[in-house]
Amino acid sequence: MRLALELVGRLALWLLLAPLLPGIINRVKAWVAGRRGPPVLQLYYDLGRLWRKGVVLSTAVSPGFVAGPAVAWVALAGAALLLPVGGMWPAEVFRGDAVLFVGLLALARYVTAGAALDPGSAFEGMGAAREVSYAVLAEAAIITALLALSLKSHSVALAEMLTPSAGAGAVLLAGGLFTVLLAENCRVPFDDPATHLELTMIHEVMVLDHSGPPLAAILHGAALKLLIFSVLLAEAVLPIGKLPPLAAAGTLGAAVLAVAVGAGLVESLLARLAFRRVPLLLTTGFLLCLFALLATWKGGGG
Amino acid sequence: MSPGAWLLVAALSVVGGLAAAWRGPRAWLALTLLACGAALVPAVTTLAGGGTWEWRSAVLIGGEPVHLLLDGVSAFFLALLAVVGGAITIYARGYWPDAAHPRSAPAGRAWWNLLLLCLGLVLVVANGLHFLIAWEIFTVAAYFLITLERQKREVRAAGWLYLAASHLSMVCLFAFFALLAARTGGWDLGPMRGRTELAPLFWLALVGFGLKAGMFPLHVWLPSAHANAPSHVSAMLSGVTLKLGIYGLVRFSGWLPVPAAAGWVVAVLGVASAVLGVAFALGQHDLKRLLAYHSVENIGIILIGLGFGLIAAAQGNAAWGRLAFAGGLLHVWNHGLFKSLLFLGAGSVLHATGTREMSRLGGLWRAMPWTAGCFVLGAAAISGLPPLNGFVSEWLVFLGLFDAVGGPGLSAWAAGPAAILLGVTGALALACFVKVCGIVFLGTARTEAARRASECGPLMRGPMLGLAVACIAIGLAPVLFWPAVANAVAAWQPAWQMAAAPAPLAALGACHAALAFAATLGAILLWRRVRQNGVARAVTWDCGYAAPTPRMQYTAGSFAEIITGWFGWILRPQRSIDRPRGLFPAQASHAEHTPETVLEHVVEPVGGAVMQVAAAVRRLQHGRLQFYILYLVVGMAVLAVLVIAGGGR
Repeated sequence: MRLALELVGRLALWLLLAPLLPGIINRVKAWVAGRRGPPVLQLYYDLGRLWRKGVVLSTAVSPGFVAGPAVAWVALAGAALLLPVGGMWPAEVFRGDAVLFVGLLALARYVTAGAALDPGSAFEGMGAAREVSYAVLAEAAIITALLALSLKSHSVALAEMLTPSAGAGAVLLAGGLFTVLLAENCRVPFDDPATHLELTMIHEVMVLDHSGPPLAAILHGAALKLLIFSVLLAEAVLPIGKLPPLAAAGTLGAAVLAVAVGAGLVESLLARLAFRRVPLLLTTGFLLCLFALLATWKGGGG
Repeated sequence: MSPGAWLLVAALSVVGGLAAAWRGPRAWLALTLLACGAALVPAVTTLAGGGTWEWRSAVLIGGEPVHLLLDGVSAFFLALLAVVGGAITIYARGYWPDAAHPRSAPAGRAWWNLLLLCLGLVLVVANGLHFLIAWEIFTVAAYFLITLERQKREVRAAGWLYLAASHLSMVCLFAFFALLAARTGGWDLGPMRGRTELAPLFWLALVGFGLKAGMFPLHVWLPSAHANAPSHVSAMLSGVTLKLGIYGLVRFSGWLPVPAAAGWVVAVLGVASAVLGVAFALGQHDLKRLLAYHSVENIGIILIGLGFGLIAAAQGNAAWGRLAFAGGLLHVWNHGLFKSLLFLGAGSVLHATGTREMSRLGGLWRAMPWTAGCFVLGAAAISGLPPLNGFVSEWLVFLGLFDAVGGPGLSAWAAGPAAILLGVTGALALACFVKVCGIVFLGTARTEAARRASECGPLMRGPMLGLAVACIAIGLAPVLFWPAVANAVAAWQPAWQMAAAPAPLAALGACHAALAFAATLGAILLWRRVRQNGVARAVTWDCGYAAPTPRMQYTAGSFAEIITGWFGWILRPQRSIDRPRGLFPAQASHAEHTPETVLEHVVEPVGGAVMQVAAAVRRLQHGRLQFYILYLVVGMAVLAVLVIAGGGR
């Protein structure tokens, strides 16, 4: 019973806080540009509005078109539940849940890209192709980062891996994971969430035909994914798990806020990369993670 | 009944089925299924209870006494043969009926039973000579099954390549078993771990069995054979007969000592097979050829498990090696299940539309919902996604590799890259199967043939559903299948007894079950919400384009273009481009084809050189008697000189 309550509580925390992050990024962008910008809670309003709206479905789509976003959302929520929050360990810590975490992200990608191909639109096909292709490099980087963390903590359970700091390679790991965060969440310089030019987008173009509640599930899932990567980055780099509970929660919150501000600043100050250069930047992210792994190795594992 | 009695029932009924192949298709089906069921019983009891069943007889076959042996390793592969073989047998009845193939259907049934019989014999005989006989017969039976449609040129070419490659493998195995027999003094097989002088023989086994398993770069025969064989045969080849190559490697690396480098070589070949297999798959536009390259990929994953298992065994007691090896072994089952499911699905598509070209398909989910559902599930399983079986075995391999990275020694340096590349392989496979499912089953029909498609009959649907259920079962309850894997591992390395399932496996199963439940619930709830809010139907939004046509959909080639560009150095795609010219271009075209690089750039040049040398030598034979007499005289003279010079010493 306590387990169930705790699980529900943690899930509610994740789900409720997730839409805050894109709001913060937008505020940072507006602040840098000298605009007033949308309210921080804008995404909450959008989600509420979409949840009540009707749906336009293409004549070509299968039932998977609606099931896809639902499964992707469930997979992302599951991945969130595997992560420790501050000093609070997830109830279901087990050896190898780090690999399950990667698998859940892949499942979300599979169904999202699959649903994008469902209406038979060339634009969405293009977006899906980019998503699954760039994810190859991103996945290599994440596994390398997990290897570095596992080597440092002598564990394959996420909660134990994320408890100490990343040690010698912390800066490298932070750089690598931040690059992956930007790529996987389709932020500048990989993708521009503000543009509406289909030919240049990755994530947005995959969801062109979605509307109403499925679109709400997709947008909320995207916000959740951003929060997951921010928490992963913060906990991988900082020894949050070793702090007392309140301090841990505070540090985690501050670190996630810093990540969001960082993403907002990158978005304001950098231009989007040409598509040919995207793999190069992602490879750089992968190499940073690889050097972090080597640094951990040389550091004797801690 | 004892295992021997069950095996006897299985053998008798498969032979009975062989006799019934021409006259009674129904009797054939019943007898063959009985055989599969009867073979499954001893396999399951051996896997559940452990132990070894052995039977020696004084009866001589080929001058050698009969010696049968069923232990964990052979029972593991026998169970795969029985389950997958049984499912495909039912499918074959619907897919290759007498009405459509009056000549080849009865012959196909006969060869089928011969194949099943000899596959089973390979697994249970413990005599080198009998092993070779059964191996050769099943190779030949598979050849006749691949070439059931002999009237087609490309089928004959594929069959010929298969036969040539199989016999190259056979030569290596002949050498392997003959040298083994010469050094041990008999053809009898069994554990001989102490005799270190036998270790170098492993390299012969690696080439022989590796060729059969389709390990890179020995996979050249595999894509064309699997693409051109009838689909039920492709499913059998990929699901079971490739695994016999793995069986050989596992069997003889367990029974015989192996050289120190064996594990490293197998692991490197495994990683190469995994990454390059999926890269080649991405470049394909023929559905079955694409699936065939994925067999190379999955054999690579299995070999990674086996390779790290061997490395760990060489290092003494390494717990991570057991995990990696157990993962590789479980992947044998998993790949057998989902790859045969995918080939059966591809067969249903081919049956309904008459084409394997993905660019001619599209939107098939509407006409073939069952096939589409099973195929998409199989695709998720082969991409290594939770909560399905492919993820469970890859998870075990990953766990082994992660532990190895934390361990001491050189193996840590090898395990890191292997883990990263295994992750890359998974992501590439996911990209490839999103492409396949999207292009073939989603969107709208690209041709008239795809538009007129209809769902396959119950005889073809049932086996697909059964295999899909098996994929889900291993995914949701991996703990139930653990004793089988543990017993097989213990039979491979007696020092590696693993009684209980590792605790995380149960937790993983629980997570999988929760995920499956939540995903189903989420999908239902979202559908209900969508219904409540009201649904309007419209054409796909194509950037405001008013009249989209099916030809405007994204193609398989465009989808894979980014990744095939990264692998252009080895894929070497051949392009023919007709660019649009002028202000009002009348026509333009772009065609791209990814050939089999190893075949075209390595095997064919070498073959060509051999043929040239042979042609040069043939000039000596021209039918002129005077010259032949001259050869004789010259030969005698040379011999005389040799004898006199040698005798003088």
